[in-house]
Amino acid sequence: MRLCQIALNNLRRRKSRVALMVVSLIIGVGTIVSVNAVVEAMKAELTRQMNEFGANIIIKPDSGELTFSYGGIVIPEVLFDVEKLSTADAEAIHQIPLAGMVRVVSPKLLGMVQHGKHHLIISGSNLPDEFALKPWLRLHSGERPEMGEKEEQAAGKDMAYEKLNLTREELSRLNITADQVLLGANVAMMLEKHEGDTLTFNDREFGIFAVLEKNGSPEDNQVFMSLSAAQSLLGRPDEVTLIEVSVDYSLGPEEILLRQLKNALPHAEVTSLRQVVLGRDEMLFRLTRFGVSVSVLVLLVGMLVVALTMSAAIRERTREIGIFRAIGFRQSHITKIVLMEGAVLSLVGGIAGYLAGMTAARYAGPVLAGMPLATPWRADLLIAAVLLATVTGLIASAIPARQAAKLDPAEALRFI
Amino acid sequence: MTEVLITMKELTKTYKSGNDEVQALRGVSLDINRGESVAVMGQSGSGKSTLLSIIGGLNPPSSGRIEIDGIDLYALSQEKRADFRREYLGFVFQQFQLIPYLTAQENVMLPLTTTGYSGRKKREMAEKVLCRVGLAGKMNRLPSQLSGGEQERVAIARAIVNEPPLVLADEPTGSLDSRTGEEIMELFTGLNREGLTVVMVTHNPENTRYMDRTILMQDGRLADNSADVLKLRTAGKRC
Repeated sequence: MRLCQIALNNLRRRKSRVALMVVSLIIGVGTIVSVNAVVEAMKAELTRQMNEFGANIIIKPDSGELTFSYGGIVIPEVLFDVEKLSTADAEAIHQIPLAGMVRVVSPKLLGMVQHGKHHLIISGSNLPDEFALKPWLRLHSGERPEMGEKEEQAAGKDMAYEKLNLTREELSRLNITADQVLLGANVAMMLEKHEGDTLTFNDREFGIFAVLEKNGSPEDNQVFMSLSAAQSLLGRPDEVTLIEVSVDYSLGPEEILLRQLKNALPHAEVTSLRQVVLGRDEMLFRLTRFGVSVSVLVLLVGMLVVALTMSAAIRERTREIGIFRAIGFRQSHITKIVLMEGAVLSLVGGIAGYLAGMTAARYAGPVLAGMPLATPWRADLLIAAVLLATVTGLIASAIPARQAAKLDPAEALRFI
Repeated sequence: MTEVLITMKELTKTYKSGNDEVQALRGVSLDINRGESVAVMGQSGSGKSTLLSIIGGLNPPSSGRIEIDGIDLYALSQEKRADFRREYLGFVFQQFQLIPYLTAQENVMLPLTTTGYSGRKKREMAEKVLCRVGLAGKMNRLPSQLSGGEQERVAIARAIVNEPPLVLADEPTGSLDSRTGEEIMELFTGLNREGLTVVMVTHNPENTRYMDRTILMQDGRLADNSADVLKLRTAGKRC
């Protein structure tokens, strides 16, 4: 006979109370686990989405309030008379002291042309750079290397930015001539054009080098050509509408780089998408804080239920504890028995809470978050859940344990 | 030569009940010898259970002093007193007071729980005393599966399993029929013959015939304040 046997036997005897306490812990721990799992998965998904957006700095003319949106990026309204960027500005980026952090600089000119009854968006740029920045762009005729990578990432196997293959398309074969274009999938469909056909803009004929695969991005609606061809076609020599830049922030300080860019291009507005990411992180942090607050509240309620239930159980066991004390159990032995009961309940509640929380996260998480989420089973979360439950259970048991240990045996046995 | 095991000097105990004070003991002085069996009788409220709880180290007196085997019981800390109870005392409570979710053997092993004995040794000790009280075949039964007399035997086995020099019994036959009560008293007599000191609170005058001495209590005092006068060692003592 050992103290733990007494604790276990007592728990076996009080099934309904035990069930109530375990369920309280399961709800508390399960809530925290599911919130944590969903938030982590949301962070991973947002990180993946940000990584897929290759450029993380946008340089555009300083425009005051006159803007329009290009693929989610707010840029100045080109038709108005505002400061303009030029190809020299793109060159200037390579001259800043922290140019080593810059991986890709892609200046581009945007404009509209008429083709028959259709207005088409022209995007002039250095296409290998454009494709390096936007790894989701693929030629329709090209192969599909490394299919399933997204699925692997969604499964949480590989979320590192560095692992993203930014050169999935063979960039060297994108050197198109001044009289060739690439068509976005929607444009090709709308114009019923295919690779090898020709198009005429402003009396100039262009051959269709390739059609892009449809990917749901704004590029589906654009016509791509070289920067010089676009400048010539649109009659805006040397001008660029915006410059997209891909920077590796692991190589240097973001703030200093941005300051250097602003100094180098005083007439331009330099926007770091990192700020957008940070904005999202801030939102996510608030979401996490809200989730944690709710979880802590639920956990406190669970703790209260456990404490009250154990307290009631101790009152029921007054005589029993009196007997233990009378036959030589120390106060510390009584405390140990009650704490062991709390620990056993916590262990069961922690493991079951983890399973319940993860199940909820896996099935309800994507619905609640409104995005596909990967919530893999995590050993660290299991350990954290069990530790959390144990600490909670022990704290909740501490007062009843003290209450039990302090019982006057003479009173408990009604000698008084 | 008789050796005094318990010495009580001018024990008083006062309880507070609201604004009132109740004097449960009013200066009890008494010696009990090693190997003696003593019955404590008296009406309800006479202070006999209070006296038993004070001897048992469960209830500090308001004043006075009690020594058991030369140890000043209430000079010990609470935890040391718990150790003392484990080593020196066995309790047999009213209505058996067995733990309902433990088997007979586990109930008997309870006082050994906090000792350093191995599990095997504990089991052997429990089996030995259960055999001694005639329950060899019912060790694995829960209290609810035992008769009243059997439960009382388990309670006695629990009280003697660590071989204490002193057993305190509070109305051990109160819940039993007369035949079973006699069997239990014979069991106590046998243990007393083996050297165990027994102090028993009882309402049943029949039980005093099994004891060396009977003490009468009245209003918190020994009946005439002289234990010797109340010595009822009778020629008709049973067994």
